[in-house]
Amino acid sequence: MKVRVDPERCQGHTLCAMRAPDIFELSEIDGHSSVIKEEVSDDQQDEAVEAVRSCPERAIFIS
Amino acid sequence: MTTDDTVNDDPKRNPVHFDRHTPEYRHEFQAVTQELQSKCPIAWSETYGGHWVASGNREVFELARSAEFLSNDHDVKGERRGYQGITIPPPPRAKAVRGGFLEMDPPEQRYYRQTLNPYLSPAAISRWIPLIDEVARACIDENIESGRIDFVDDLANVVPAVLTLAMMGIPVRKWTIYNEAAHASVYTPPNSPDQARVVELQKAMGADLAMTIAEIRQAPRPGLVDALVRAEINGQSPPDDELLGVLALLIGGGFDTTTALTAHALEWLSEHPAERDRLSRDRKALLDSATEEFLRFYAPAPGDGRTFSADCEIAGTRFKEGERLWLSWAMANRDPQVFPEPDSIDMERKGNRHSSFGLGIHRCIGSNVARTVFKRMVTQVLDRMPDFRCDPEGAEHYETIGVIQGMRHLPGTFTPGPRTGAGLDETLETLQRVVDEQRLAEPVTVRKGPARIDR
Repeated sequence: MKVRVDPERCQGHTLCAMRAPDIFELSEIDGHSSVIKEEVSDDQQDEAVEAVRSCPERAIFIS
Repeated sequence: MTTDDTVNDDPKRNPVHFDRHTPEYRHEFQAVTQELQSKCPIAWSETYGGHWVASGNREVFELARSAEFLSNDHDVKGERRGYQGITIPPPPRAKAVRGGFLEMDPPEQRYYRQTLNPYLSPAAISRWIPLIDEVARACIDENIESGRIDFVDDLANVVPAVLTLAMMGIPVRKWTIYNEAAHASVYTPPNSPDQARVVELQKAMGADLAMTIAEIRQAPRPGLVDALVRAEINGQSPPDDELLGVLALLIGGGFDTTTALTAHALEWLSEHPAERDRLSRDRKALLDSATEEFLRFYAPAPGDGRTFSADCEIAGTRFKEGERLWLSWAMANRDPQVFPEPDSIDMERKGNRHSSFGLGIHRCIGSNVARTVFKRMVTQVLDRMPDFRCDPEGAEHYETIGVIQGMRHLPGTFTPGPRTGAGLDETLETLQRVVDEQRLAEPVTVRKGPARIDR
């Protein structure tokens, strides 16, 4: 599974990093999210899906 | 009815009566929300000169993210298109001052946010946790031996106010000047005989803010005020009246909203003692999701107004330039299409993409402050007064929820315990020294580490 944050959509709500701190990191300056590593390991997939479902801006995509 | 791909029959021919400033709206919130969402998730109401009301989750989402067609501008001087900002109807005093960057559009709005973000990011806020904890500790110590507390007056009003002032670079002992002004201006109805008092309180706060701006221009000290007086907005230094609006926005956003969230959550936990005990026991697993659920359910800032800046069609409805729109975050949060059993609180709720901090480019810039302060206050209440019960007779909710869904008072009782440190006044003196000596109010780009507080 691959995960991606659309930087145009992300507004820094920070919920993804709250749900999946091993997958997402937040900018120190404005809290906007980016993925630490695009490839999500098998045991992190539930967290990644929950991050997608929690994002208020629908800015996270998995493939 | 709206569907995904058909354009609405003109909802203006079937207007609804929607008045969120009446007590009835507060009492009937659930029924009104269900009615609007099932029949017309984008409705037209004739109230307040006529405006659109978006209540469906998908509709609110699509509208809020259409920044190219929506304006937050409050053109108080009549220099642009005369738009009236984010409140419907605009309050009389707002005619004089623009409500900061929440009543601006990009690029101006973006410059302000870029200026303030390094003070308000998650990394920036986590530096303040030792100070937040110490203020909450002192508030609780003032009441711990008596077994009685007013969770609003004695805790949830104090901590957000003190932290906000500290972050701004304003002496924290002044929190009382700002506190009552900030809350009373929200909970006092426009026709109340108490308005004269509110105006006086507002004047005192405005005078102190103006003095603070002048002081910090003269002798800089770190904080949000310093960032703003040094900011270049569109290549220019912003004038004082604009800065006052921005500072008033930070105070309005920083004070009443977190108080409202905390009071409502504590009231609910008192009514559900088994859930209160479960939250305390499993806080590591539950506190984050419970916080988001209280945010969803109680949405302290229930919505925002906008003005359409161009003719457009969004979510199946046609809008005309100049028309006004109410985006209801609170109603969008109760849409069963997105939130199963939307009118129940589930502390473990999954997929909780609530819109209580707004959506799109105007996302609440203080969301990280709100979450952190809420969690630290609730944690100390659970630790130090685990059997607390609120007194339903003494609980006083705001009469209306048109502006903020808040509470004026929430008295409670608990098994008394021992004090663990100094009282509030002495603690604030100590903390002011810490703020000054460690330059805590610097942006995270300048100062990284957490506050160090010796006790």
